[in-house]
Amino acid sequence: MGFPYDSATWDVVDGAMFMGAGSAMTGIYTLIAAGICVYVLWAGNRSEKKQYEKAEK
Amino acid sequence: MEEQIAELTAQVAALKGSAGVTNTMFAETFYYLTIPLMIIIHAGFLAYEMGASRMKNVLSSGVKNILAFAFMVPTFYFFGWWVYWGFPTGFTFTAGPAGISGAEYASSIALGWGESAQYMGPNIADQASGVFFGAFALFAATTASIMSGAVIERIQTVGFVILAIVLGSFAWVVAAAWGWHADGWLVTKFGVHDFGAAGLVHAVAGFFALGVLINLGPRIGKFNADGSANHIAGHNMPLTVTGLMLIIVGFWGFLMACVIVPGEAWSWFADKPATIYGTPITLSALSFNILMAIAGGIIGAWIYTKDPFWMMSGALAGIISTASGLDIYYPALAFIVAFSAGVILKPCATWLENRGIDDAVGAVTVHGTIGVYGVIMLGVFASGFPALQGAAGEVPTINLIGQIVGAVVFFLLGFVPGYVVSLILKSMGMLRTPEAAEIAGLDPVKVPAQGYPEGIPASAAASD
Repeated sequence: MGFPYDSATWDVVDGAMFMGAGSAMTGIYTLIAAGICVYVLWAGNRSEKKQYEKAEK
Repeated sequence: MEEQIAELTAQVAALKGSAGVTNTMFAETFYYLTIPLMIIIHAGFLAYEMGASRMKNVLSSGVKNILAFAFMVPTFYFFGWWVYWGFPTGFTFTAGPAGISGAEYASSIALGWGESAQYMGPNIADQASGVFFGAFALFAATTASIMSGAVIERIQTVGFVILAIVLGSFAWVVAAAWGWHADGWLVTKFGVHDFGAAGLVHAVAGFFALGVLINLGPRIGKFNADGSANHIAGHNMPLTVTGLMLIIVGFWGFLMACVIVPGEAWSWFADKPATIYGTPITLSALSFNILMAIAGGIIGAWIYTKDPFWMMSGALAGIISTASGLDIYYPALAFIVAFSAGVILKPCATWLENRGIDDAVGAVTVHGTIGVYGVIMLGVFASGFPALQGAAGEVPTINLIGQIVGAVVFFLLGFVPGYVVSLILKSMGMLRTPEAAEIAGLDPVKVPAQGYPEGIPASAAASD
């Protein structure tokens, strides 16, 4: 987390310049984002099933 | 004298640097602009599908289409991009002759964690990865959208999204790795040439849709007890036809994104544009051939059907039938091939319908059948053209057998996962909507909004 270079100036930036660059946070963010997608599919399916059950009554 | 030489040398270096910056910005902008153009394809599919739906399903079809786009982007980021770079040499995951493939290479540039994350986010030293990723993610979204229209009015939303992910972030990407990459084994071993993705996008998507449709089944009321088919008209033909035109607008961006611009470290050449195979191409070639193909497809479909839906589908079929060789077709030949695609389009769709397949928008025919037709036609007309950049005798040439092998592989890469995954979803009760919901309409069942809350004005109804 934080600025990924030793000095807090854009003058030293010569590569990756995003939050979490060079740290394990990139993987953690990726994992959380993927988890959100999986959760939404699970929750969306559950909600969709309920709506179909209502229509069948 | 020495001072003047030093000054001139410095000026030349400054000019070179300036030209390099301009070229890099041009290259980045070139691919960046293909992204919104390809989003127009998605806008087109959205309009097309909603228009082809009955009023009771119009928003549900829209939701499904929008979600396909939304899920395609992150899943392509998570693993689709890796698949493209990791799979070219087949399931060995080794590096190919060009050295830009294999599991090790893919893991070094296309994963969202570790060292490779530097190429998967903002990086002042990398003005290529993001725009290439963006263009490919939109190829993926286009591929998933092709299947989307075929299955409207009876597929479950989440089941559809899962299928879209399998198609858009995996199946077609494997096809692209094998047949649309300088290290792809279909290219290096069989000389497969598919510049504009007739096979690896359109045929894969079309036959994926066929696999799904077999398990999904037809809409209620589509077929009579004796097997004869009824026409289920969409609620808004003008919207559908306009959507098709938007898809065609967006395809200029899609095909433009298939060009590798010159002058960059990753370019094939310093001074001329190339295809993804390193063979020469110009945007002028695309302009000649795309326009002639659109015209040929429309005219071919008109002479047979006189129907604006099939005429605009014919325009798409015209592009798809010539997409494999848009870099090398002679425009008049592109017109002839596209015309023939426009003519066979409706009969092929009818043939499929007579076999009990309810493809609501003709996607299997327009993209699948015509995609395969286009791949094979290139083998008929372009045999002997080098399929890759390289010295004579050292590179494969385009040939009919190679194109047929490519067409078969693309068919299988679409149909098999489409059939298998939809069968699994069916067994889990996640594929088809219940009968009661389908009869009531999917909008009143699961969409908290109305497409036409004030109804359709009487003046808009057909008069006697």
